[in-house]
Amino acid sequence: MTQPVKNIAVVAPRFPEGPTVGGAETLLQQFALRLAAAGYTVTFYTTCACDHVTWRNELPPGACMTGGVRVLRFPVDEDRDLDAFLRAQQRISLGREVTPDDEQAWMRNNVNSRALIDALARDADGLDRVLAGPYLFSLVVRAAAVCPGKTLLVPCLHDEPFAYLSAIAELFRHVRGCLFNAAPERALAERLFGPLPGVRAVVGLGMDPFDSDPGATARRLGLAAPYVLYAGRREPLKGTPLLLDYLAAFRARTARDLHLVLTGAGPVEPPASLRGAVHDLGFVSEREKHDAMAGALAFCHPSVNESFGIVLLEAWLAGTAALVHAGSAVLVHQCRRSNGGLWFRTYPEFEEELLLLWDEPETHRALAAAGRQFVREEYAWPVVEARLIEALAR
Amino acid sequence: MSDDIFRIGADGIETDAVVARIRERVAEKMERGLYTDGRVARAERTNLAQLRDREDFLAFYLDCLREAVLVDINDFEIHERRARFSRPLVLLKRSIWKLLKFYTYRLWSQQNQVNGLLLSAVESMDSRYREKFDALEKRIDALERKPS
Repeated sequence: MTQPVKNIAVVAPRFPEGPTVGGAETLLQQFALRLAAAGYTVTFYTTCACDHVTWRNELPPGACMTGGVRVLRFPVDEDRDLDAFLRAQQRISLGREVTPDDEQAWMRNNVNSRALIDALARDADGLDRVLAGPYLFSLVVRAAAVCPGKTLLVPCLHDEPFAYLSAIAELFRHVRGCLFNAAPERALAERLFGPLPGVRAVVGLGMDPFDSDPGATARRLGLAAPYVLYAGRREPLKGTPLLLDYLAAFRARTARDLHLVLTGAGPVEPPASLRGAVHDLGFVSEREKHDAMAGALAFCHPSVNESFGIVLLEAWLAGTAALVHAGSAVLVHQCRRSNGGLWFRTYPEFEEELLLLWDEPETHRALAAAGRQFVREEYAWPVVEARLIEALAR
Repeated sequence: MSDDIFRIGADGIETDAVVARIRERVAEKMERGLYTDGRVARAERTNLAQLRDREDFLAFYLDCLREAVLVDINDFEIHERRARFSRPLVLLKRSIWKLLKFYTYRLWSQQNQVNGLLLSAVESMDSRYREKFDALEKRIDALERKPS
């Protein structure tokens, strides 16, 4: 008879405290908190870093309890050669030929914590499962190597040059299994690494229902015109420059006063033609973000690199329709399954879809209602928790 | 443009069908030249990496680029929002614009030449590779049909 799973370790480079942490770490934190609430003994192994650029040790090392989870913080190794890492990172991200030496340099000088790996190795015998992610950190690759037979990788995999490294293929092939966020992410893993052994579960992140005020953001900004919302990091990989270009073309070609509201981190550089039409709210509370979502003509997610798209599900829960880039298999998959959003490949499709939402409120309502229903059925926490617990037990 | 809007009007909705109809609509409007516009070319500059596998879109993009290739330094209406000294300010701005135009004329003309040459080079590469691919595809077809 298999032994019941009781003691869980979760490994991620950061433990989210405050608004600056990415979706993958939020996902792992939520898994940890939910499992602790369900009676599992959960230890979260993480680093003392807060900033995903500098990886400086900002928090004190040591243990603390958060929501029933024991959080252990370890310093990031400070002897990494940042120049060598950046050189290798650039070669890889530009899609140039990567030699074994480049790959070694990238792994060696990536975010690592020897103290964390040592502690995990010491505790390994008492652990039943290790959840580790996201995949593109050397820290996660090394943590998975401590007890691969017990490790379930939460990869948050994207089709990007790093996913093609041989160390990453090894990682996927040697762990106990993977917990994916969506079926296209699993399909991508199987395309890149071949048939995967063991657990290949699609779990995702749960969503709690929330209240929102659709008029709050417009009142706060004194905005009478419709707006499109973007929520998240602003960077080329997330498609924000594309959204600004599309908005400028839309306003110029249709002479409609469409605005863009952004929440989240990172610089926004709208062209002069968009002066007064782009409203950067920066970091906002969850309530303010949900209000902004609820009042939008559309929630636009122009990123092609998504393994889940938490904000897309939040936007549906807030009751708005979505527009996503057709280059993201995951976002299109979610829109198809939910009937809650449309996808565009090019500017002309974007323009037609926005005009449709603008001129046909009943279509907007139908999309938004379908999206909300989908999230309530597929991503309610009890449903996600059941998928997670089943995957852990396998 | 609003008289030309595509309508769904559905209670329930099937997004696959909506997107398919939007794409038909876009294809038809492209044929009518309604998207051959420099502004579309500019809007797509950050999307080109996603479009590299779509031959039809590259042809369309080149059409848009032809519309956007020349830098516009024609005179334009100069306004002054401040009511006080509006007339002298407009005159001053007009003089500045004339000077700017005069001193940047060489730059403008070189830029237009470079843009035009680059567009011709891209068009010629595109047509050469299209011909080459067509010839290769025909050859592969012929070889595949040949009894072994």
